Amino acid sequence: MGKKKSGIYSIEVNGTKDIESIDTETSDKGDGKGKRKEQLKHHKKNCQEELKKDIDLYDHKLSTKELEEKYGTNIIQGLSSKRAAEILAQDGPNVLSPPKETPEIIKFLKQMVGGFSSLLWAGAILCFIAYGIELSKDNNASMDNLYLGVVLIVVVILTGMFAYYQEAKSTNIIASFIKMIPRKAFVIRDGEKREISAEELVVGDIVEIKSGDQIPADIRILDSQGCKVDNSSLTGESEPQSRSCALTHENPLETKNIAFYSTTCLEGTATGMVINTGDRTIIGRIALLASSVGHEKTPIAIEIEHFVHIVAGVAVSIGIVFFIISICMKYRVLDAVIFLIGIILANVPEGLVAAVTVSLSLTAKRMAKKNCLVKNLEAVETLGSTSIICSDKTGTLTQNRMTVAHLWFDNQIYEADTSEDQKAQIFDQSSATWASLSKIVTLCSRAEFSPGQESVPIMKKMVMGDASEAALLKFSEVIMGDVIERRKRNRKVVEIPFNSLNKFQLSIHETDDPNDKRFLLVMKGAPETILEKCSTIMIDGQEQPLDESTAEAFQTAYMELGSLGERVLGFCHLYLPEDEFPDTYSFDVETMNFPTSDLCFVGLISMIDPPRSTVPDAVMKCRSAGIKVIMVTGDHPITAKAIARNVGIISVNSETVEDIAKRLNIPVEQVNKREAKAAVVNGMELKEMSPEQLDELLIHHTEIVFARTSPQQKLMIVEGCQRQDAVVAVTGDGVNDSPALKKADIGIAMGCVGTDAAKNAADMVLLDDNFASIVTGIEEGRLIFDNLKKIIAFTLTKNIAELIPFLIFIIAGIPLPIGTIAILFIDLGTDIIPSIALAYEKAETDIMSRKPRHKKKDRLVNHQLALYSYLQIGILQSVGGFFAYFTVYAVQGFKPAQLIYLRPLWENDSINDLEDSYGQEWTKYQRKYLEWNGYTAYFVAVMVQQIADVIIRKTRINSIFQQGLFRNKAIWVGIASQIIIAVILSSGFGSIPVLNFTTLRVQYWFVAVPYGIVLWLYDEFRKLLIRRFPGRWWDKTMYY
Amino acid sequence: MAALQEKKTCSQRMEEFRHYCWNPDTGQLLGRTLSKWVWISLYYVAFYVVMTGLFALAIYTLMWTIDPYTPDYQDQLKSPGVTLRPDVYGERGLQIIYNVSQNSSWKDLTQTLHTFLSAYSPAAQEENKNCSSGQYFIQKEFLAANHTKYSCKFTADMLQNCSGLTDPNFGFEEGKPCFIIKMNRIVNFFPSNNHTAPRVNCTFLEEHHKDFKPLEVDYYPSNGTFSLHYFPYYGKKAQPHYSNPLVAAKFLNIPKNKEVIIVCKIIAENVSFDNPHDPYEGKVEFKLEIQK
Repeated sequence: MGKKKSGIYSIEVNGTKDIESIDTETSDKGDGKGKRKEQLKHHKKNCQEELKKDIDLYDHKLSTKELEEKYGTNIIQGLSSKRAAEILAQDGPNVLSPPKETPEIIKFLKQMVGGFSSLLWAGAILCFIAYGIELSKDNNASMDNLYLGVVLIVVVILTGMFAYYQEAKSTNIIASFIKMIPRKAFVIRDGEKREISAEELVVGDIVEIKSGDQIPADIRILDSQGCKVDNSSLTGESEPQSRSCALTHENPLETKNIAFYSTTCLEGTATGMVINTGDRTIIGRIALLASSVGHEKTPIAIEIEHFVHIVAGVAVSIGIVFFIISICMKYRVLDAVIFLIGIILANVPEGLVAAVTVSLSLTAKRMAKKNCLVKNLEAVETLGSTSIICSDKTGTLTQNRMTVAHLWFDNQIYEADTSEDQKAQIFDQSSATWASLSKIVTLCSRAEFSPGQESVPIMKKMVMGDASEAALLKFSEVIMGDVIERRKRNRKVVEIPFNSLNKFQLSIHETDDPNDKRFLLVMKGAPETILEKCSTIMIDGQEQPLDESTAEAFQTAYMELGSLGERVLGFCHLYLPEDEFPDTYSFDVETMNFPTSDLCFVGLISMIDPPRSTVPDAVMKCRSAGIKVIMVTGDHPITAKAIARNVGIISVNSETVEDIAKRLNIPVEQVNKREAKAAVVNGMELKEMSPEQLDELLIHHTEIVFARTSPQQKLMIVEGCQRQDAVVAVTGDGVNDSPALKKADIGIAMGCVGTDAAKNAADMVLLDDNFASIVTGIEEGRLIFDNLKKIIAFTLTKNIAELIPFLIFIIAGIPLPIGTIAILFIDLGTDIIPSIALAYEKAETDIMSRKPRHKKKDRLVNHQLALYSYLQIGILQSVGGFFAYFTVYAVQGFKPAQLIYLRPLWENDSINDLEDSYGQEWTKYQRKYLEWNGYTAYFVAVMVQQIADVIIRKTRINSIFQQGLFRNKAIWVGIASQIIIAVILSSGFGSIPVLNFTTLRVQYWFVAVPYGIVLWLYDEFRKLLIRRFPGRWWDKTMYY
Repeated sequence: MAALQEKKTCSQRMEEFRHYCWNPDTGQLLGRTLSKWVWISLYYVAFYVVMTGLFALAIYTLMWTIDPYTPDYQDQLKSPGVTLRPDVYGERGLQIIYNVSQNSSWKDLTQTLHTFLSAYSPAAQEENKNCSSGQYFIQKEFLAANHTKYSCKFTADMLQNCSGLTDPNFGFEEGKPCFIIKMNRIVNFFPSNNHTAPRVNCTFLEEHHKDFKPLEVDYYPSNGTFSLHYFPYYGKKAQPHYSNPLVAAKFLNIPKNKEVIIVCKIIAENVSFDNPHDPYEGKVEFKLEIQK
């Protein structure tokens, strides 16, 4: 036995090892190791297949005795505390290990070297080299380069720390999601029953389960009293499953004598022996599998990387070109190196990464307010690029509660209100038949409201009883008021509860009419069963014989309601004749000493889990936004299709192949599949499809419903969608949804009904389980993408205004218009808050009417954005900056013409009487100070134009006036911050050494204002033409 | 979240790039067809022409608004800088080292002085007026030729022993060198409000030479003053022939084979010499070493 045990466990241990090795392999990004990758893929496949295969578990086949022997325990006495402690020490606590994480220090270092940081490091190193060269030539070399290098390193470290902090914050949010473990368990140890923390459970423990408990570990049932468990978190089956000690199936997942960790006991009690704990439980293995699917780069990460590549490429190539130019122009190598640093610095948007992270987390917060909890920041944007949503039906599209939808009596179908907050039913209630029907509905039911809910609206009250009984209870409560009171007045004499053999429920009551001593027999059940038992039918309160035509009417109504995907119940009654059944008659349920045939048929009531009222709108929105909504449900195809039609997933005028066949009256095979826009696919059909067939299905049908699907098939569907290059959002709630949630580009777990495993695997949690929230999320996601574009466009623009000075400086030999420190102050000072403020920008009008972003073609930074920002607005800004620069020099004595090629004299330390345009003579320091004054003027000019820039970047297509200048208050805060920072810098705080700002006369703050206005007018003009001529040359060239 | 990016091989990337450079299917060159390129280039040419026009207009307006005679502001020129001739710069500022017995070591220095003073020859100063008032030469009107203002003559002979006329070696040979001190021009600058002329005062830098005897200096013109009639300066356009007044200082007791630091300050009410950042404002400091 011992050998066998080790055998079993060795397999399991192997399994875990595989997963672990995958984890480590994915975490070390060993690129270019093709073979290893291949191996890894193989591993992954194996792993998934392993899970799909039966689980190696034989404990259900063992007898009690064998079990005792295997786990060294005693069923009556339990484990000894000592033994339990030993096993605990050996196996570890009974918890799911959290997914493997990269060490903090690695994460931190990654932030330090990733993206632009490496460019800045290069800049810093160049600074030190330059300083070193200077120092080796001259002991008293200027410290400027050293300072700049240190400043750059500080910048890198600060932004790195900031990004790290943001990431750590979001990781913490994720950490709070992991709370899978049931808290307490009753365990028998040392022959005593005691309550311990479920974490301390070990293999061999004897535990007691009662209804409502979560199963604390995988358990072999030893004894059961009517124990039923809800396995839906594991298998997706929502039917309660009974648990007993008998071996009923070879497969451990199917057999009744094993209860699984994290499933819930619905009713009854049971005693069992713990056979697996922690990660070795079935659920633990699934969780591990889910985490081993692994995170790869999110779209936004790819986009940002793409952007970094572009900017770095531009920076490095311009830098090198000008390095060569300056060498050719006979500058010293040292100078050329310093120019290179300046060019790199001017090109790198240092503050951008911070702005992007902040705006992502802002959006995440905003989405939490809208009931979408986002676990990782990038998920927000992914949601925005969603092109296919695979949605669950129950609870997401529907209200997740049965509600009466239709009634049929007096040969007529009546419609009932199914909205969430129904107050009164408005159908015709004058008929006497309705009076009888309502009486049956009220009486023939065992459902009751849970106590203590007086203040809760009827539709929201908790009900004890099954879903359709609850629906009927609420229905009658709404229409007739106090149901319980009515039941009291019609005292129940006897009842037969519903069971699957009879397919009906029956009860006999005294009537509330004191003059009527007859008993009333009421019955409800499956319509065909009920009809069989009837010989008459009630029409307008009169009993009429049930003839062919009425039977046919019944059939038609039944079929019609059935085709709406509704669950139909039939109702009938019979007043027992007083002479045969006097007051004292004793009814016996066992012998059925009362009539159960020749009853009077009263009517049909059909129920459905109705769609949420917000869903049809949301689906419409998706459609206009070019997003395909696919319903994936375990429900019956007819119900699924009905709901799909109801919410617009299948639109009013589109047909499935079957619909066409029916309309044309031809066999399904003859229908041209291309004609059908819609498709309803059964899980069985899906099973037989090849991936190619699935692809074809997904491509050719725009409206698809998958019914009767298993969670594994959900994964197939997701993969199929992804093969179409779609960005797929998937909703799910069960544990077994977690691989699909992981596989999806964005997994959405349900906050209310979702299991923790699903929440773990998902990227986003919907707190209200509402499909409409997904659409809100998509809107937010698109908004963040737009806003990121705006932020980047805003940030890139001034890079040119920072770069051009260096280029002109090198080529035309003018005194340097703006220093590197001032550049850093623009990038990390004045521009930070406005760029974050752009994240608060409201959506433009086209946000939900354009196609989803193609994840490979529509880039965050496209050439339109780059060209417009760099070569148009950026150049315009440079012109404004240069004008300010020339103005400041001219009013102090150096006219523009004199500045050209002045640099060799200007920077010469041994000329202390340099003549200006007025014949005045300047010392070196006086010139230097004027140069700083020029920096300040240029800085202020760029700042002023960046104010105009942030205003124009509010919209990409709408006019600023359409969007509203004052709707986004944050922008004004940003603009105020720009001005305040500039004022502080130029009012003396900036004149400390190294910073090199000077005071600037008031009027020169306004030199660039006309350019700001020109910039605004030009951009308005651009947007006007885009709106006027969509799709034309201008639109294609100028719309970013 | 799931995988979005499949790794591309290098050759795939190259192929993609080649396709981008020239796409034979659509006739696209670097992502655009030729006609598109023409259009977009035309647009940018037009854009930049307008931009250049705007800039030119702005500069034109700027030049039109500023005064041709006086700069609008003299924020940096509150107090004039002072320069020294001969001016040889070492690692930290002016540093003059020569050997009395080696002609070659000071020939360059005297040559610098000769060149410098050539602008003060009577011929070069011909256009200027002889002044002797010793008072500010204030001119409201443009009375000189070509709508200019008069400038006062300053000729090299005013420097007497240091003029290079009597001693072409400026005293370098005998170890008593002449240095010429020049005050920078600033438009409309009045050195003092109380009509005392600015004066040059040269000393050893105190903290370095406590043990020395005080520096003995002969100043030319006498007293080492810049006569007030050279002030104010009206700018290049109003006074095209203006030349700065000079003061020569002949140092008589420089210790030999020893580096000394000498500072020459300008003593005047409106000239400050205590700006910590600017070593050449109102004073000039230099190292001098005369070897024997």
